[in-house]
Amino acid sequence: MRKAMSIAATGFRQMIVDPMYVVFTLAMPIVMTWAMSFLPDVDGVYEMASLGVLVMFVALNLITSASAVIEERRGGTWQRILQSPTPYTTIMVGHFIKLFAVAWLQALLLLASGKFLFGAPWNGGYGAMAAVMTVYIFAMTGLGLFLASVLKTPGQVQAVSTGFVMVGTMLGDIFFPMENPSLAISLISKLSPQSWAAHSLKDILTADAGLASQATPIAIMLSFGLVLFALGAHRISRMEG
Amino acid sequence: MTMLNVAGLSKSFGSRRAVGDVAFSVERSEVFGLLGPNGAGKSTTLSLISGLLKPEPGAVQIEGLDMALQPGKAKGKLGVVPQEPAVYKELTARQNLKFFGELNDLRGENLDRAIASVLEVVGLTDRADEKVGNYSGGMQRRLNIAIGIVHSPALVIMDEPTVGVDPQSRRHILDTVKKLRDRGTSVIYTSHYVEEVEELCDRVAIMDHGRLIALGTIADLLSEAGEYHELLITLGNQSLPEAATLLAIPGVREAFVREGSARVLTSNAEQVLPLVFTALVQSNCPVTEIKIKKPNLETLFLKLTGKALRDN
Repeated sequence: MRKAMSIAATGFRQMIVDPMYVVFTLAMPIVMTWAMSFLPDVDGVYEMASLGVLVMFVALNLITSASAVIEERRGGTWQRILQSPTPYTTIMVGHFIKLFAVAWLQALLLLASGKFLFGAPWNGGYGAMAAVMTVYIFAMTGLGLFLASVLKTPGQVQAVSTGFVMVGTMLGDIFFPMENPSLAISLISKLSPQSWAAHSLKDILTADAGLASQATPIAIMLSFGLVLFALGAHRISRMEG
Repeated sequence: MTMLNVAGLSKSFGSRRAVGDVAFSVERSEVFGLLGPNGAGKSTTLSLISGLLKPEPGAVQIEGLDMALQPGKAKGKLGVVPQEPAVYKELTARQNLKFFGELNDLRGENLDRAIASVLEVVGLTDRADEKVGNYSGGMQRRLNIAIGIVHSPALVIMDEPTVGVDPQSRRHILDTVKKLRDRGTSVIYTSHYVEEVEELCDRVAIMDHGRLIALGTIADLLSEAGEYHELLITLGNQSLPEAATLLAIPGVREAFVREGSARVLTSNAEQVLPLVFTALVQSNCPVTEIKIKKPNLETLFLKLTGKALRDN
């Protein structure tokens, strides 16, 4: 576990010393959360848009951060870690802890800034919120690892992840609530983990929905994450052997 | 004491066999040169030894620990210095060393001591708390070595550690290898620089097309390969010796005479030179200049692989 913590701490340190990462991950989504507060004062619009910013940036953060494996492979540090007496599972756990830590830090900052700076009406249900966020973070980490295992360059990951996140968020019934959506839009919102997460968080934070009522979104996001995480971790381990 | 034993090592990628039936051992305190043209299978062999790739089939034992059966323990005995610096440029040298030291089971005061010691060895003590991104290429390579040896491994793999470094850093790296050997560490060293290999390596193995084609001390390999010293003699007047006169001298393998000069091939220049000199004087052929061209690894490599060591 100490080695996993070393891997997590080193990865975390690398991220936060990068000014671009801090701007992209923290400053930009806070500004966008603030910008959303100027939306028309229609019931639920700001809450949904604010949570949309949250799930969108957490997804982008996690997918691009998980693809750090590609950078590490290109730079040789990944091989160096594998050549040390550190089991592969410990390495993956270390990366996972790092990703969870950065995603939670980002999510907490966005939820707090939404509530205390821009007046989002979060009324409790924080335990259920934590459970849904954890599952969502797991799902996006799985996607990031999977993409890192099939794509060759960070640029490719950036392109694919931006497309995935934008389509899943913009057309996922989050920023633009849709009545009578087309079959395609309806399908996208059903397949998009961002859509499931944003709606679930809104129900919990504004309508005090219990965790039991969120079983479907949790199960879908968990399945999504499990499949992609297993595939990604397996493929990355095979790359070396 | 055998530090590394490699037996029947093979690896294929699809239908292409990258390494085939490679076997050798490395003794304690030995610097072992692994040479070969690009694509010869050196990097694959090093990856197999370090556990990054799995042999199919073959076995790697480090201090008797089998890499397939006890990978954790075997890897703990091993340090790897890759060709390109594998370091975190956003972090300081000390943070890099702390991280990789921890992955190699160092903790607390032992880790601090090891970091201080290894920084001293590579001459980076004064810059240890600077971001690695600000280092010169040579300094990054020295840190690259420091990371590979911070846990005092019994065996260190160094893959062309001096490529593209300034002469000062290069000398520092070569001296570091000697220090490692002096304290009992074994080193597998790959390089395209003949002079480095000749200076450092106790034995060398030459690979080509995935196979070992030569293994031994440099002197033994040159001798076995029939590489001769060449005496190039400039004569002072027009009278020429008979080639047969030179060939009759014990130790002379071949002799060529032509206008104003003679060329003698021998396996022992020191022994033959005085005899050749005497024979020429007795034949009334005064010598104005003698050059001795010793065989070296470069010529041997060229002969065995058909490629120049530094060109590939």
